[in-house]
Amino acid sequence: MLLCVTIPDYALAVALLDAGVSDAPTLLADKRERGRAIALDGRAYDCGARVGQTIAQASAAAHGARVLVHDAARVRALWDYLLDGLDAVSPLVDGEEPGVAFLEMAGVPGAPADYLSRAHRALAPFGLPVRAAFAANKFAARAAALIADGTVCREGGERALVAPLPLRVLGVDPRALERLRLLGIRTLGELAALPYGPFVRRFGGAGATWHERASGVDRTPFLPRAHAVAIEATLFGEGTAEVEAQVVFALRVLIDRVCADMECLGKRAGALGIELELENGEVRVREIGLAQPTAQARAMLGVLRANLEGVTFESPVVGLRVRALRLEEAGESLPLFRSTDDLDPQTIAVTLARLEAALGEPARQARGVRAYALEEQFAYDAFSMPASFETPAAPAPQDDTPLYSALVVPQLQLLEVREIAVRVAAGAPAFVGSPPRAVLECTGPWRIEENWFSVPLVRDEYDVLLEGGALYRIYRQGQKWYLRGSYD
Amino acid sequence: MSALTSVSVLHTDRFAAFAALKSELASRAEAGRIELAGKLVSSGIEALDGVLGGGLVRGTIVALEGGSGRMAIAARLLAQATAHGLAAVIDAGDLFPPALARAGVRLERLLIVPARSAIGIARAVDILLRSRAFSVVLMPAVALRTQVWARLAGLAQKAGALVLALGLCASAELAAFSATRLRCVLDRVLVSGAGGVFARLVGYDVRAHVLKHRYGRPGGNALVRAIERSDSTSVRERAVIPEGLIRCSFA
Repeated sequence: MLLCVTIPDYALAVALLDAGVSDAPTLLADKRERGRAIALDGRAYDCGARVGQTIAQASAAAHGARVLVHDAARVRALWDYLLDGLDAVSPLVDGEEPGVAFLEMAGVPGAPADYLSRAHRALAPFGLPVRAAFAANKFAARAAALIADGTVCREGGERALVAPLPLRVLGVDPRALERLRLLGIRTLGELAALPYGPFVRRFGGAGATWHERASGVDRTPFLPRAHAVAIEATLFGEGTAEVEAQVVFALRVLIDRVCADMECLGKRAGALGIELELENGEVRVREIGLAQPTAQARAMLGVLRANLEGVTFESPVVGLRVRALRLEEAGESLPLFRSTDDLDPQTIAVTLARLEAALGEPARQARGVRAYALEEQFAYDAFSMPASFETPAAPAPQDDTPLYSALVVPQLQLLEVREIAVRVAAGAPAFVGSPPRAVLECTGPWRIEENWFSVPLVRDEYDVLLEGGALYRIYRQGQKWYLRGSYD
Repeated sequence: MSALTSVSVLHTDRFAAFAALKSELASRAEAGRIELAGKLVSSGIEALDGVLGGGLVRGTIVALEGGSGRMAIAARLLAQATAHGLAAVIDAGDLFPPALARAGVRLERLLIVPARSAIGIARAVDILLRSRAFSVVLMPAVALRTQVWARLAGLAQKAGALVLALGLCASAELAAFSATRLRCVLDRVLVSGAGGVFARLVGYDVRAHVLKHRYGRPGGNALVRAIERSDSTSVRERAVIPEGLIRCSFA
């Protein structure tokens, strides 16, 4: 027997929870720029706004409507908290989709009414509109919650319960829905009354599912979610650490414990959370990423030490907590990574941590981005260890001309953009800089136009060879000239 | 010396004697060449390898000086390094990764370390070399004390890594601790298309002069052509002469 807990229009409910109550009609858009309405409250719907309209259309229909933007990460994170809360009601929770959860209540003491009240109590602190219902299978339980909060469907009464519901609760695609309407079928009861065989022959496999559900039967399996595993070790109330060696010793003890726990559970950590409590009451929390998930104490300690290099504390450390984060299944052991090039991922992790500690900002890797402006043609990400060092086969030459076999490529370097003096003759730069140097060769202009929809960027770029042998990329924006880069 | 004496006796013609002397000395130099198998790293540029006696010496500091062309040569080395492993670049804010990618550098294997101050750059290179995970480390040739260059040279040797120091002109300390010094001078630029908006700078020729080489003689130079892929079949060359005299030819 299943308990269904739903939050109608969950994403909108979360957005309203964050934004606060307002009398104005509210619509939820998928994004701020060029977004579309993905959910509406009752007032906006009554004003004529509909899901799928652009923000402009929906705002025009519901004049003065408040537009909230969907935050998928926030919605997902809150849903995880809600599921954690439901763990108090049943050990088996199926969080099918954000806003809909099923709880297996078989073997849980109490009556259905008790289950419903427990679910409400568990979720009350979140302040969201919750509906709970009880039935034998997922579809019936969800339908019961749709009918009214607190509905309890006795075993065998599923068909009668769902009979008056409209066809749209089946999630039928609009074309099939229209076909069913043309056949005069509007409710689940009418659909269930049709003979199973001919209906399935006409509507296929999906039709079989619709017919079964309309008859109160749902074969969707119950998939309990995996429980979050917390692996951590703490050291409090065992004196104070005043020098680095003492802190490192304590960390080593804690990491050994964490690694032993991970080994028992067959896990490895992708990051470490460290919490240091100081005597003056200050608590410092840091999350330290590892290049590759590991369960090796030595590697973890190396990364932690590198991250704590140069960190000073104003008072002695009285408490320590080390937590294994981003846990994943252990899988293959780490030494296998060394097979290709004898490169230890932990060495890279320690190197990255040392660099960050020394320079104050993390090392990174670049990736290309499709853009016209030079400065937008690349972006930086956090450095991640390549999975393998296999070298792909060299691409086949596309042409026999010497140009295509060239291996050395001119390198442009971006200089700090600064305004320069340029004298123009016949529409092209003739002298550049101060004192002016003659332009021996000039190519361009190439017009760059971007961001026409927000802050327009329009500029003409030139490559110039100056007397003396300097090669520069310059550009004109408006009436001013700027230095962009040099060929190195 | 007896062989040299016999040469002068046998050949009365001065030019013939000079030619014989040259070949004699060349053969002696060849016989006395230091075996560097496994120590040299090909620069990936045939002409440059030729004047460097096979390539750059692994585990040393290489100073790349001059103007245009330094980074093009360095990019070729980075491309070779990232084909099989990891390389690192100290970015003082002027790096343009798309150009490196066009030169064959695999960006996912290139660690970019942002550092601007001289001491920050030195610390970053120190950390990178100690990790022994990076076969090529590219850094700006900043002004560092002798002790720092000495330490970096020692670390490079232990790690077997190639440290490329790019700058306009090597300081006295860098000149002393670098095993190889190359000075790049722009020789000519290559332009495709007729002119103006239809023209495009597709590359340049750079003359790389060997100022210092630990296992070879300085003084040689190699012409390195850096060129972009281009659909245009005609490329115009414009020679660059510091005096301002311009030669123009069409290819």
